[in-house]
Amino acid sequence: MTAAAYLDAVGSALADGWSVAGLHAAEEGRVVRVALAAPDGRLRLESAATESGAVPSLVELAPRLEWDEREAADLYGVAFIGHEPHRSLVDHAPELARWTVPVLGHDSHQLAVGPVHAGVIESGHFRFHLVGEKILYLDARLFYKHRGLERAAEGATLEDGIAFAARACMACNVTNATAYAQACEEALGLEPSADLARVRTILLELERVWSHLNDVSAICAGTGFAAGTQLFGALSERARRLNERIAGHRYLLGAVHVGRSDVRLEDADVEHVRAELDAIGARAARAWRELTFNGSFQDRLSDIGIVTARQAATLGTVGPAARAAGLHEDARTASPRLAYRDFAPAVGVRPAGDVQARLEQRPLELEQSLAIVAGLLEAPVPRAVAWSGGEPRAIGVARVESPRGATLCVVEHEHGRLTRLRLRTGSYANWPSVAFAAAGNMLPDFPLVNKSFELCYACADR
Amino acid sequence: MLTLLRDLRRLRRSVALPAPRRPASLALRHVDAGSCNGCEHELTMTAGPYVDLARFGLGVVASPRHADVLLVTGTVTTRMHEPLLRAYAAMPEPRRVVALGDCALGCNVLGLAGELVGPVEDILTVDLTIPGCPPSPETIAAALLTLLDR
Repeated sequence: MTAAAYLDAVGSALADGWSVAGLHAAEEGRVVRVALAAPDGRLRLESAATESGAVPSLVELAPRLEWDEREAADLYGVAFIGHEPHRSLVDHAPELARWTVPVLGHDSHQLAVGPVHAGVIESGHFRFHLVGEKILYLDARLFYKHRGLERAAEGATLEDGIAFAARACMACNVTNATAYAQACEEALGLEPSADLARVRTILLELERVWSHLNDVSAICAGTGFAAGTQLFGALSERARRLNERIAGHRYLLGAVHVGRSDVRLEDADVEHVRAELDAIGARAARAWRELTFNGSFQDRLSDIGIVTARQAATLGTVGPAARAAGLHEDARTASPRLAYRDFAPAVGVRPAGDVQARLEQRPLELEQSLAIVAGLLEAPVPRAVAWSGGEPRAIGVARVESPRGATLCVVEHEHGRLTRLRLRTGSYANWPSVAFAAAGNMLPDFPLVNKSFELCYACADR
Repeated sequence: MLTLLRDLRRLRRSVALPAPRRPASLALRHVDAGSCNGCEHELTMTAGPYVDLARFGLGVVASPRHADVLLVTGTVTTRMHEPLLRAYAAMPEPRRVVALGDCALGCNVLGLAGELVGPVEDILTVDLTIPGCPPSPETIAAALLTLLDR
C-alpha cells in the first residue's frame, strides 16, 4: 500500500468508528502494520511499505501510537514522517536532549529516580521536571528490562513461541499466552471449542482476581496504610495458592497452549475452587467496607492523578484506568473466542479518573470476575482442543483483556515458524497515561498515582 | 479499622508461625536486573502475614547503603548491568549477594544474546542461590534465613 492509501485507510477506519489498537514494524523494517479494532471487536491490519525507510506518522490521527512509532524507529530504523523530533524510547541514548521533552522556565529543575527503586519494585527510570515539589512533566524511561523477547522468538515454532509471550511478564502471563494462542489459532485456521473458550476464560479471570486484590494492597501501601496492605495482600496470596491447586503454578504459568488446554478439574476440584473464591470474595468485601470508612486513607485518594474520559480516549488508556474515567472500554465485550456471554464493562458511580476512581474500580471488577468464574464452574472442566474452522493465514491477530487492559498480539509466520511476534500489553498502552496523570501533582503523590495504575515494567519492556 | 486489625489478628493466629529462635537481623536490598516480575511478586509476599520475614529481623531497606544483602532477580540485561554494579558498590562490608529465581541463576533464560549480560554469577560473587520460577515466598524465606548462620 502506498503512503497516501495507508493514511486514507486509517483515516476512514477511524471515521467509521474503528479504533487503533497498535502498530509495529515487520520484515526488518520494510513494512509497518497498524492494527485496527471495530466497535464489535473485529481486528484487521493495514500495512504500508516503507519508502527509503520512511512512512507517514499516524500520531496526529492516533496519539496513542506515540510509543509504538518510537519503538519501531529505535528497533527497526523506520522513520515516521511528521513524528518529529524522534525521541528515543527503547534505545537508551546517553544525552538527555535526545529522550526528554525540554521543560523551561523560572526555577524549573529535574529530579532523576531509578532505575533502582526504594522498595521491591521493577526497574525503570523517571525523570521529573519540577518547580519545587510540583510535577510539571514526567519523562518515563523504561526498557531497562528489555530482553529482546520478540526478536528472540523468531524462528521458533508457533507452539514453542508461546513461552516468549508468557514469560514477558509473570503477572500477565495468562493474558499474554492467551492472546498469543488465539493469534496463532487464527493464523492456523483453528477455532476454540466451547470447552477451550471456557477454561481460558476461567484462567483469565483467576489472573484478574489475584491481581486486583494485589492492586488494592499496593494502593494501600502507597498511602502507608499497613493494615489494608497486609489484609488484601493475604487475600491475593490465598488466590495464588488456589491457582497452584488448579494448574500447579501460583501464577498459572504453563496452563495455556496453542490449540489445546490440559487443565482438568473434577467435581471435587470445582467445588473446592468455588468455595474458596466465595470465601475470598466475602472477606474482600468486608475488608473493602473498612477501607471505605477510613477517613485518613480516603483523604489521600481523590482529585489526584486525574485522566478524564476525553484524555483517556486520546491517550488510548485501557483497562481499569479507562473504565475509572467512565469509558466503556473492555476487550471482554468483544471476545468471540472466549466465554464472555452478555458481558458489560463495570463502571463505577464516580468515574472521575483519579486515584480514588481507579482504586474503586478494582473491587467492582473483582466481584464481576468472581461471578464469571462461579458461572463457568457449574460443571467439571475437561481437557479441550481447538477445531479447524477457517482458512490458514500468514498473520494472526488477537486482543485479550488483561488485569491492566487490552493486550494485542500479532503473530506472523512462514510454514509454522515465527517471523515476527508483536505483544502490545495493557501496561505498554497505559504507561503514557501514568506520565500524563503525574503532571500537575505533588511529587510525594507520584508513588500513589503510579500504584493506582499498578502497571508492569516487564511486559512493557519485553 | 478495628475490623481489619481483628481479621489480621485472627489470620495470624490461624497461620500460627513459630517464634524466632534468637535475635538477629539482615537488611535486604532488592535489584531487579531484568526479571519477568514474578520474583518481585513473591518477594513482596514474604512481608505478608503468611510468612512475615520481619519476625526474624529480615526486611527490605530503601538504599544499598543500609543493606547487608543484595537480592538480585532476573538475568542481567545490558541496561541493568551498570545500575547493578553501582548498587553493589554502594553497600558496606560485609555484604552478601543472593541470586533469586531461575533467571538470575541462568536457567531457562529467554531473550536475545545481545540484550543480556548473563546470570548474576558472571558479574558478582554469589553467596546464595534460590532456584524456582518463581520461588515461593516460603522458599525465599527459608533460604534467606540460612544467611543468618553465615
